[in-house]
Amino acid sequence: MERMYEADIKSLQEEIGALQHQLENNENMVTVSHEGPMEVVLSSLRGKPGTEFGKKDMVENLVLELERLEGHLSQQERINRIVLTDCRVKTLERNKSKFVQQHRLSGYCCHLAFQVEFELTEFQDPTASNSVTSLNVVVDGPELREISTFVSRVEDDKSLLLFFRTFREFSERCEHRNRTFMYFKDKYPNVVCLPEGCRADAMTIRSPKLPGCTMNVVWSIDVSKEGLVTPRLELLAKMPEQALSLDRKNVIKNAPDFFQSLLRVVGVEASIDSLIKAVSME
Amino acid sequence: MLGELGMRGDGGGCGGLVNAPCPFSGVLAHLSALETESVRLVELQREAWRQQATREELCATVERLRAQRDQLRAKVLSATSLQQVMTEVDQENEEKRSEEEKSAGDSQLHMSLLTARLSHVKNLLRAHHLIGGYDITETRRGKGVCFSIATAFEDRTLETYNVEMDLARTMRICRHNIPPFIPLERLAQENFQSDIMAFLDSLSMHLNAYVGRRQQVRLIQELFHGSVKVLESNALCSILVLRCRQVGEKKAAALCTLEYGDPTRCLPTRVTIDSEEKTLTDSPQWNEIQALFLETPAHQALLAIRREERIA
Repeated sequence: MERMYEADIKSLQEEIGALQHQLENNENMVTVSHEGPMEVVLSSLRGKPGTEFGKKDMVENLVLELERLEGHLSQQERINRIVLTDCRVKTLERNKSKFVQQHRLSGYCCHLAFQVEFELTEFQDPTASNSVTSLNVVVDGPELREISTFVSRVEDDKSLLLFFRTFREFSERCEHRNRTFMYFKDKYPNVVCLPEGCRADAMTIRSPKLPGCTMNVVWSIDVSKEGLVTPRLELLAKMPEQALSLDRKNVIKNAPDFFQSLLRVVGVEASIDSLIKAVSME
Repeated sequence: MLGELGMRGDGGGCGGLVNAPCPFSGVLAHLSALETESVRLVELQREAWRQQATREELCATVERLRAQRDQLRAKVLSATSLQQVMTEVDQENEEKRSEEEKSAGDSQLHMSLLTARLSHVKNLLRAHHLIGGYDITETRRGKGVCFSIATAFEDRTLETYNVEMDLARTMRICRHNIPPFIPLERLAQENFQSDIMAFLDSLSMHLNAYVGRRQQVRLIQELFHGSVKVLESNALCSILVLRCRQVGEKKAAALCTLEYGDPTRCLPTRVTIDSEEKTLTDSPQWNEIQALFLETPAHQALLAIRREERIA
């Protein structure tokens, strides 16, 4: 009982931390966009009658161009489902045959943040294809464990594009898991417990009347070396020995298999929901 | 005696009285046993209270935290909408104010700030392109839109394919340079009326897998000039037959057939190896090689086999 409360407290504290962070960020954004010179410049420039004709035209053109590009950028973010927050480019080498630039990008996809540093070599010879000559990837958060093997593989092969294709799918799957866990935690706060936080891969269902009897839903998201993302759900039932010996019809023993068939028929959300209902009815 | 009585409790007390040599000592023992028992019970009670209190405290903490969380959630939600409103209001104010403040010095500063911002946005856009984003271009004055799909294999950037869509009433593909063996129409029917992103994702999977397989064939020809021969391959690169020579006196030739059954992957789904020397094909080494081909790109697998000096 105490353990469940403690786990609850931990996960709530985590969530509060994340929310506070988000709130701070929001406030920062407000201050940046209100005190930052950019907004002042942009809005004060709109419809401002300039003194010199040439300069006014130039400024107006710049503003128009900037507005067009920013619109384009947000369109690009929407379709790529990746937001880049920072980007630094450094030229390392430039000569007749090749052009080497180092790029440092940070951004996020769903709630997963990443930092990527890579060197891109562009050859002047049009028949030669550009190549990535070094790649470093940093991914933060509890999900790292599930994607780390894949990350070291892409770093070795320098597969920049493959990383982003897989990372996008992976983070969308993670967000789905996170949302689903949170939904059940909110809906059944006294039965469902997230012992390792809402971004981890496990959810515990405790029978309110039978302490000691727990069901663990383990929802792992596998990423293969070649970048295939496959979610896998499993049910692990934990019962005291005494209770197991009373289970003559092998309900507990067969529960994981039943859960698998349920998943195939009704899908993730409905399966977990009916599982929780069954446990809390007991 | 005392301990025994204490253990047996009330029922045992009577037996103690009968057997005792002195009647008082039995009564005293019984009383003292009762006393110990009551002290024990009180302690148990206290312990239970203490536990109850901790539990209540924990429960209260959970409730408190939950309330705090809900409050924060609401704040975050309102902050986001507040931000939007404030930006709008501010812009209006700024516009009014801007009538008054105009000076040459300011405009110089504005110019440089604008240029800096412009180059930042340009860099971000280029970065989206470099990491394989679907570049969007408006075509035919907004009536159409063109998506570019970048492909790469390992460190090499390869072709970019384009799909142009007609945005009139029903969205449909009007022009593209996708190779004919990629099932574009099927992918479009499956996905894009409902979800353009899913369509682009699956198209990109097919294209990247195709160029990946083709690039492996090219790399084998480049890296194993003469020693490994590509005997057969098709346009989709879904089958690849290689001939290599084993190391040894006889230099027996081995034939590797790689079948790529899944068009969205660049690794084979079936590998068969035939050799002139029948004894070799069943050996554990050959099984290892087979497994290697199934999980590593073909050119890397061949490099590894050559390092181990199994093929010439």
